[in-house]
Amino acid sequence: MFNEYYQLNYSDLQESLRQQPKTGLSPLRLAVLRNVMVEPIEIYWKFLAKCSGFDTEIKFGQYDQIMAEAVGGAPELLNTKTDVVVVFCHLETFSQNLTRRFGALNKEQLKEECDRVDVFCHSVLSGIRRQTSAAILWHGFELPAYPAMGIMENATGGQQVETVRQLNDKIKGILCDIENAYYVDLDACRARVGVKGFYDQRYWHIGHAPYSREAYREIAYEDFKYIRALKSKNKKCLVLDCDNTLWGGIVGEDGLDKISLSKTNPGSAYYEFQQEILNLYDRGVILAVCSKNNEADVWEVFRSHPDMVLRQEHIAAAQINWDDKATNIRRIADELNIGTDSMVFVDDNEFELGLLRQSLPDVEVLSLAGRSPVEYRSMLAECGLFDALNMTEEDRKRGRMYKEEAQRKKSVELAVDIPTYLRSLGMVASVRLLDEFAVSRVSQLTQRTNQFNLTTRRYTEDDIRSFLKDEKAQAVTLELKDRFGDMGMVGACILRFQPDHAEIDTLLLSCRAFGRRAEEILLNRALQLARDRGAKHVKAQYSATVKNVIVRDFYEQHGFLITSQEAGNKKYELKVSDLGSTMPVEYLQIVTV
Amino acid sequence: MVREEVIKVVSNILNVPIEEVNEDSSPQTLAQWDSLQHMNLILALEEKFGIRFREDQIVDMLNVQLIILAVDELKNV
Repeated sequence: MFNEYYQLNYSDLQESLRQQPKTGLSPLRLAVLRNVMVEPIEIYWKFLAKCSGFDTEIKFGQYDQIMAEAVGGAPELLNTKTDVVVVFCHLETFSQNLTRRFGALNKEQLKEECDRVDVFCHSVLSGIRRQTSAAILWHGFELPAYPAMGIMENATGGQQVETVRQLNDKIKGILCDIENAYYVDLDACRARVGVKGFYDQRYWHIGHAPYSREAYREIAYEDFKYIRALKSKNKKCLVLDCDNTLWGGIVGEDGLDKISLSKTNPGSAYYEFQQEILNLYDRGVILAVCSKNNEADVWEVFRSHPDMVLRQEHIAAAQINWDDKATNIRRIADELNIGTDSMVFVDDNEFELGLLRQSLPDVEVLSLAGRSPVEYRSMLAECGLFDALNMTEEDRKRGRMYKEEAQRKKSVELAVDIPTYLRSLGMVASVRLLDEFAVSRVSQLTQRTNQFNLTTRRYTEDDIRSFLKDEKAQAVTLELKDRFGDMGMVGACILRFQPDHAEIDTLLLSCRAFGRRAEEILLNRALQLARDRGAKHVKAQYSATVKNVIVRDFYEQHGFLITSQEAGNKKYELKVSDLGSTMPVEYLQIVTV
Repeated sequence: MVREEVIKVVSNILNVPIEEVNEDSSPQTLAQWDSLQHMNLILALEEKFGIRFREDQIVDMLNVQLIILAVDELKNV
């Protein structure tokens, strides 16, 4: 996707969109509020959406009706079905004086004009939020590329650039206070394309369309970093080839001392590329290696080469053998318990990549073929495939956690039987009632957990926060650690209370915690809470999806009775008096808060 | 040559079968050809031929024949 996107021209994109079959795509509804014509961006958005598995419906608001539409004048545009609201509030259109005739403003007029902008933006953003809970992408104001005072702007403390910067800062402040609203840095897009290529002055005059197609292409790509992150379509795992990717040359043929990897030229290209990879690791991206080599040769480089930035401890999984890469990547996916659709594979060999595109089309391919090594680092930085909107402490540690999990799996081979093995892990579980600190992680879990998820209800942070305040609901979280490391929060359960019974709205468990009876801890705690509240029955549901077959019989296995069945979905009930309350014995300690 | 390429671009961008596009095609004969699509057409033609239209040309290219003439003029500069 990334490689093609910047190489296809307008006609090609159009052609590509027409060709791909429209099956298995999720809907994505975009509403665009604007005071300039930006319609040409539509084709770039559509292409990127399709690459991420979306079928987009894009509605443009009326030209220069941002305020009217934001406060309720366009319910067909902003409503409960809207997924993302994109705002293009072009400063030059809104305020000629701040942009074109800055010199015409005296101090009072400048303040008035800035206040006008502030009030407008504030009203628009809060207005949108009242109409819809959709995510909001606000494009920042472009800083004047050629300030009215020229170089005096910096020399004598001219104000134009600083004024616009402050307007943007104020908006960032407003966006922080509004849930699910984000600032898209238009200046960063412009910097990458270059001011000189960003605008199309012909169409600015003919049709109030300020931007060039390179600009639309870059802006659309930036927008989709946000949209992918919002929809959990951002990638989680980077799979790396070794030869001519992490270092120049082929270690099996050239030997450890002849491969090209160094702080100085020419190996510096690979050195800096590895540093960029490590940036991703710091963000919580999982690193894996897939290479056609003798294992010993590869690990020797990781261990002994003085200029390796990546070390064995950073690699959560590796398939180093002579099998084909598709098979190996599938093995890595299985080992890490992640979907192939969350992986990015980087390789310099077009032949391998071509085979992969056919057999594993889910895997995003970043091709280094035909590129010079000095370009690798920027290619990785530019791709934006791993961008996420927030980072919990757990995300920061994720790379390490997957590595620890791999170590756990290896130790299974030594165990005598499962219960003995589990006991040998020294597991400690903590079950807590939901608090403010857990909100973000719980929301994340509901968005990302697909397998051990009985009802697959997706909740935003706001939704989870509302459970905190709701007297008729209670939520518990489960954290787990063992002697290999701390897995953080691995499960959650949400209960809803009716006058005489309780209902399990949500019960989920991260795949990291499978096979340890951790789900029993959650279930038991939930049943305890129901009993404490005086419920006579507990109701539950299984909503069948393609991915959660693993829990199809979960409730039956724990003593619930089926009350109805339809099309694979099941409803259950359990009498509170039937509750036993046994926590699994394999745990060293279970802390209940 | 230029004629064929221009017609191909028009057909592609406007999503009209190629048989229905000829020199007389215009915003009046093809419903899909509105001002927005006109802009997309211009962008696609510029990319295709590696040329850049002037603003007065953009506004005046009101049928396929005029487009072919403008493209010819710019390519032969």
